This record gives sequence, structure tokens and C-alpha cells, in this order.
Amino acid sequence: MELGALAAAIAVGLAALGAGIGNAIIVKSTIEGIARQPELRSSLQTVMFIGVALVEAIPIIAVVIAFLSIF
Amino acid sequence: MTDYGVEIRRIAQWTMYAMALYALGWGFTPYTPVFAGLLLGGAFSLYNVWSMYQKIRKLGEAAASGGRFMTLGTLSRLAVGALAAVVIIQFPDEFHPAGVVGGLMTPYVLIFFRSLLEVRRL
Repeated sequence: MELGALAAAIAVGLAALGAGIGNAIIVKSTIEGIARQPELRSSLQTVMFIGVALVEAIPIIAVVIAFLSIF
Repeated sequence: MTDYGVEIRRIAQWTMYAMALYALGWGFTPYTPVFAGLLLGGAFSLYNVWSMYQKIRKLGEAAASGGRFMTLGTLSRLAVGALAAVVIIQFPDEFHPAGVVGGLMTPYVLIFFRSLLEVRRL
């Protein structure tokens, strides 16, 4: 049980850390792009959506697996 | 509707097509828990897609008009994953864990292939 909780904490923590850094880079680039060229907002939002989706896929799997390893 | 909205609508549409295939698998194959899990994960993932769409749309509006934007909603999407895990733990005979994870990943896989097609077009 204790090791399961430790494994869950490490899995979710590292996955969330990676997702946080990745999302920050994506949001920064998108906001810079929209501020420079507001007419490209729609296509930049689409690219951002793809990026955020790819970044967030791993932490969601990590959360599910972490919960399963705790219980 | 903007190009962005059309794109997200298309992804949600494809996810629902995949869920229709899962429903067929649930009804006509002996792997009922796996396909039930895929259906459950697919339903949760539709919320994730909608949440991402809304948050990114609001972020775009805030960036264009100089407004404030606080959060991207990552925590609520992770909480959806936790909720799916709780459902698996509560009903282990009805839902297979691999199926639920696969269902949660359905739109992400579709988005990945969509992005590959976009890269190929460029």
C-alpha cells in the first residue's frame, strides 16, 4: 500500500510537471503569435489545441494508472 | 463558426464515430467489459475535448482583446481521469481498466493522426 502510494505520487507528479512545462511553452507561443497577428487567431488556436491535447494525454493516463495502483 | 470551431467539431464527431464502433463491439463481441470501458472512457474524453475547446477559445479572446485569463483547466481534465479510475475501482467486473484508458485516449489519438495529416499537407 505504501509503495503503491509512493508510485502513484511519483507518476502523477512527474507527469504533471512535464505537462505544466509543455503547456506553458504552448500557451506562451500562442499568445505571442495572437498578439503579433490577431488575424491568425483561429489557426493558432487549432495548433494550440493539438499541442495541448498531445501534452495532456500522458498525465491523464498517469492519473488513471496511479489511482489503480493505490487501490 | 470559425475554422477552430469546425476543427474541434470534426474531432468530436470522429470520437462519436469511434464510440459507435465501441457500442457495436459491446453488443456483438464477447469482450463486453473492454468495450464498456472504451465507451465510458470515450464519454469522459468528450468532456475533456469540450473543456479544452472552451478554455482555448477564451484564451484566444483574452489574448486578442487584452483581457485576463487565469487557468487552462488541466486540473479538471486530470480529475476526469481520476473519476474514471474511481468508476473502474467501484465496478471492476463491468469495466476493464485498459478499455477505460483506451477510451479516454480516443480523441487524443484522433488528434494525433489529424496533426500528422496537417504536417503532411504543409
